[in-house]
Amino acid sequence: MSIAMLKAITPNDIVRAQADHPAAFSSRGRNLKLALRAIAFSYVCGSLWYFEVWKLLSPSELVRDFLRTIFVWQDMATWQYTNIYRGITETMAMAFLGTLLGTIGSLFVGFLAAKNVMTIAPIRQLVRRFLDVLRGIDQLVWGLVFVRAVGLGPLAGVLAIFISDLGTLSKLYSEAIENIDRKEVEGIKATGAGPFAVIRYGYIPQVLPVFISQSLYFWESNTRSATILGIVGAGGIGMIIIERFRAGLYDQVAFVVLNVLVIIFFIDWLSKRIRLWAIGEKQH
Amino acid sequence: MTDATLGTGAVGTGTSDPVSTFERHRTELRASRRVWNLIALAVFMVALALSINISQFFPDRLATAFTRFFEYFGTITPNLEWDLLFEGRDENGRAVAGSITYWYTDFWDYMTLIGETILMAITATLIGTAFAFVLSFPAAANLAPNSAIYWVSRRFLELCRGVPEILLALVFVFAIGIGPLAGVMAIAIHSAGALGKLFAEVNENASNRPVEGITAAGGTWAQKMLYGVVPQVAPNFFSYAMLRFEINVRASSIIGFVGAGGIGAELNRVISFYSDDRVMAVLILIVVMVTIIDLISERIRLGFIGRENFA
Repeated sequence: MSIAMLKAITPNDIVRAQADHPAAFSSRGRNLKLALRAIAFSYVCGSLWYFEVWKLLSPSELVRDFLRTIFVWQDMATWQYTNIYRGITETMAMAFLGTLLGTIGSLFVGFLAAKNVMTIAPIRQLVRRFLDVLRGIDQLVWGLVFVRAVGLGPLAGVLAIFISDLGTLSKLYSEAIENIDRKEVEGIKATGAGPFAVIRYGYIPQVLPVFISQSLYFWESNTRSATILGIVGAGGIGMIIIERFRAGLYDQVAFVVLNVLVIIFFIDWLSKRIRLWAIGEKQH
Repeated sequence: MTDATLGTGAVGTGTSDPVSTFERHRTELRASRRVWNLIALAVFMVALALSINISQFFPDRLATAFTRFFEYFGTITPNLEWDLLFEGRDENGRAVAGSITYWYTDFWDYMTLIGETILMAITATLIGTAFAFVLSFPAAANLAPNSAIYWVSRRFLELCRGVPEILLALVFVFAIGIGPLAGVMAIAIHSAGALGKLFAEVNENASNRPVEGITAAGGTWAQKMLYGVVPQVAPNFFSYAMLRFEINVRASSIIGFVGAGGIGAELNRVISFYSDDRVMAVLILIVVMVTIIDLISERIRLGFIGRENFA
C-alpha cells in the first residue's frame, strides 16, 4: 500500500470498514482487558491499604543509621573472621551433605513413585502423598522441627535439607523415569539381556543425565537456603547473620552477605563445570 | 548378519579389525579419563569426610536424633478419642479434651492468619510481576536501548534476587515495624528479581519481526515493546507469574518467623514455646493451604495456555 493510497483514506472509509466487519472492531475484548486491569489495580490498592502501606512513608529513625553502616565499614580488625568463615564452611558442608543424602534417598523413592516401575497403584499413591507432605512444609519449618528434635547445630540443618530435598527430588526423578523412551529398553531386552543389564543399559543412561543435573541444581539452591537455616538455629552462617543484625553490627552483616553471594556464585560456576564434565554439552 | 559375513568383513590383521580398533580406542579413552575420575573421587571423598565431620553426622548422634524425632512427633500428635471426636463445647463454653474442637481451639485465629498469608502472597506477586515486567525489557539483550541501561537493570535484578527473602524481611521489619507490610515488600522485591530474569530470557527469545514492523511505522521504544513484544511473550509471563505465586505462598507462610506477618509468626511461637498438638494443628493447615493453592494454580496455568505449550 503506497503513501498516496494511505492518504486517500477518508474518515468515511474507516466508518464503512468498521460497519462491514463488526467482529474485528468489537470492544468486548478491550473492555474485558480494562476490567481485569481495574480489578487487579484496585485489589493491589485495597490490600496495600489493609497492610497499612503508609508506614513506608514514615520509616524508623534508625534506617538512615542502618544505610550508612552497611556502606561504611568500621573496626574491621575486630570482626572475628574465624567465626564468620567457620559459619560459611558449615553452611557449605550442610548443603553438600544434605543434597547428597537427598539424592541417595530419592534414587530409591523416585523409582517407587514412578508409574512405569511401581505398578501397584496404592503403594505409588501412598509414596506420592507422603512426598507431597514433605514438599508442603517449608525447609525452614523442617529446620525448626529438627532443632526441637535433635538440638541446635548443623545436624538439624542437614536433616532439614535432606527431608525437603527428598520430597522435591523424588518427584523430579520419578517424572524423569516416567518419561524414558521404551524403545531403548526393548532394544536391550531384544538382545537377550537379563533384568540387571536392562536397568544398567536401558534405564540408567536415559535418566542419569537428568538426575545429575537436577542434583547439581539443588546443590546450588540448597547452599542459598542453608544460609538462612541458621536463623532458626539449624547451623551455618544464618546464626551469625541474625546475631550481628540484632546487635546492630550492620557492616558485618553486609560483609557476610557479600561473602555468601560470592560463595553461591562459585558453587553455581562449579556445578556448571561438573555438569559439563559429567554429561557433556547437552542441556537438560 | 551372520557370523560368516562378519568374518569376511574383518579382513587382514587385528589392527584393521573394526572390533579390535573400537576396543583399543575405548581402552585409551578409559585410561585418559581414569586419572581425572580418580582425582574427582578423591576430592569428593575429602569433601564428604569434611562435611560429615563439620555437621557432626555420626551414627550415635543420628541414632538419638532418630528416636528423638519420633518422640517429638509423638508429643505434637493430638490425643483424639473416637467417641468424643465431634463433641462440641459444653454449657460453660469449654471444649472436651480429645475432641477436634479442643484440638483446634484457635481455629478461627489460624484461619485469619492463613487468609492474611494468602493475601500477602497475591499482593507481593502482583507488585513483583509489575516491576519485573517493566524491568524485563531493558534487561533483555536484544531489546535494551543501550548497553549501559542493560547492564544496570541486569545488576539491579541480580541484587534483588540474590538477597534471601527472609533477610530482606528482617531489614523491613527493622525499618517499618512488625507486620505484614514488611513481608509483602520483601517477597515483592525478591519476586521482581527472580521473575525479571525469567521474563528477560523470554523476551530474548521473542521474534524481532513485529518489532521491526513497528520501527518501520515510526513507533517509539515503548510502543515497540508494548505492541511488538508483549503479545508474543504474555502467555509465558503469565505462567511464570503463576509459578512464582505458588513459591510466594510458601515464602509468606514462613516469613513471619522474623515478624513479617502471616501464619509464620504463629508457627514459630507454637513450635518454640509449646511442644503439643498445636504444632500439628498449624502444620496441617499450612500443608492443606499450600496443596489447594498449587492445585488451583496448576489448573489456571494449564487452562490458560494449554498443556502442550507449557515447556
